[in-house]
Amino acid sequence: MSIPYFRYIAPRSLEEAIDFLGQARESGKRARVLAGGTDLIVQLRARETVPDVVVDISRIKRLSRVERMGSEIRIGPLVTHADLANLDLIREYAGVLSEAARTVGSPQIRNLGTLGGNIVNASPAADTIPALVILDAKLVLRGPEGERLLTITDFFKGPYQTVIKEDELLTGVIVPLPPPSGRAVFLKLARRKAVAIARMNLACMLYYDRQKELFEWVRLCVGSSTPKPVRMTQAEKALVGKAYTESVLQKAGKAAAEQMVALSGFRSSTAYKKPVVGDLVIRAVHLAVEKG
Amino acid sequence: MEALGEETLTISMIVNGESVVREISVNRTLLSILREDLGLTGAKEGCGVGECGACTVIMNGRTVNACMVLAPKADGATITTIEGLSSGEQLHPLQEAFVEKGAVQCGFCTPGMILSAKVLLDKNPSPSRLEIREEISGNLCRCTGYQQIVDAIELTANRMQETDT
Repeated sequence: MSIPYFRYIAPRSLEEAIDFLGQARESGKRARVLAGGTDLIVQLRARETVPDVVVDISRIKRLSRVERMGSEIRIGPLVTHADLANLDLIREYAGVLSEAARTVGSPQIRNLGTLGGNIVNASPAADTIPALVILDAKLVLRGPEGERLLTITDFFKGPYQTVIKEDELLTGVIVPLPPPSGRAVFLKLARRKAVAIARMNLACMLYYDRQKELFEWVRLCVGSSTPKPVRMTQAEKALVGKAYTESVLQKAGKAAAEQMVALSGFRSSTAYKKPVVGDLVIRAVHLAVEKG
Repeated sequence: MEALGEETLTISMIVNGESVVREISVNRTLLSILREDLGLTGAKEGCGVGECGACTVIMNGRTVNACMVLAPKADGATITTIEGLSSGEQLHPLQEAFVEKGAVQCGFCTPGMILSAKVLLDKNPSPSRLEIREEISGNLCRCTGYQQIVDAIELTANRMQETDT
């Protein structure tokens, strides 16, 4: 399985990269962006993609930065899953993203694969995406006409489909600092503990007020279960303002299962996923509340 | 559409401590350069899609699947392969422990296992068995001799601790 021929370009600056993508688009050439390569190289070898040009953005240093700016963290798209798992800044302020990144592939994959790649590849099973959804992340896309800012949920059109244009580059992921009272959990169901694609994954963040004995707010997102990532709003509504009781949690689990089926329709996997998504939601809420 | 021909690029790397400069075709992988151009056949091609870890090498201090690294990306990189661990006939402590503990069966996964273990011990000299298993989770042994592999890594860690104290 050899890799097809292509032109290779490794721009050193963002401006250069955007120029190349713009030129490729104008001349009708198919360009693919290379970051970590853990998805692209596999696609190239399988000839699922046969680009005219590969634009390797991994030499653009500013795309690997992580910084806190006021009330948000800006994460460069080239930050690897290993970095997300280990960087103090991410662990402290976006712990659920660290947890999600830690479950991706293997150490070798985490050392290569990038956050930007995980987002733009748009696999429904991507582990970082549910975490980014509950963190209310925003994406910065830059093209020849300038920048645009999108919410993470507006970025996806469907499985492996996004709104990014051929001459646009994902240049940053903005994560607003979550309320310090929030407790977050990431769960992943897969056939093995490592080197496994999620059958389902879930990110949950909530605040349970122990004095008032009610859920103040809840954010839930289940991956690998809907055509595009969304918040499980029905389950969230079933919890907010209610007490932490088994029957409330059961209702939330049922609401999540119903929302999943409403969005995805009945599929061959529904018989498995419908009860499991409910149980996952219940388990996640338990774990988050137990975090204190 | 015009057919695309081969495009080449000159890359330089430090491989096992030696400077290497090669003109390569841009559509090749680091693994194929190491094996075919440099004769370093310790890293193997198993699955070719980043699941088995037989192609593991250390690139800039971190383990990577060399089958998924496009060769031009290795320009300027420092690479360690299994061939770079021993000094002449003198085996690396991990290699010695693998031999002693019978941690090698067919041997296909061994170079990758040892390199993953090396990176682990470099950052964590006394890992738990669970930490060892997590670090080698990207290296599959189809002979399923995992216990002996974990034993060998543990033994190496213990020996390195003893020599330090």
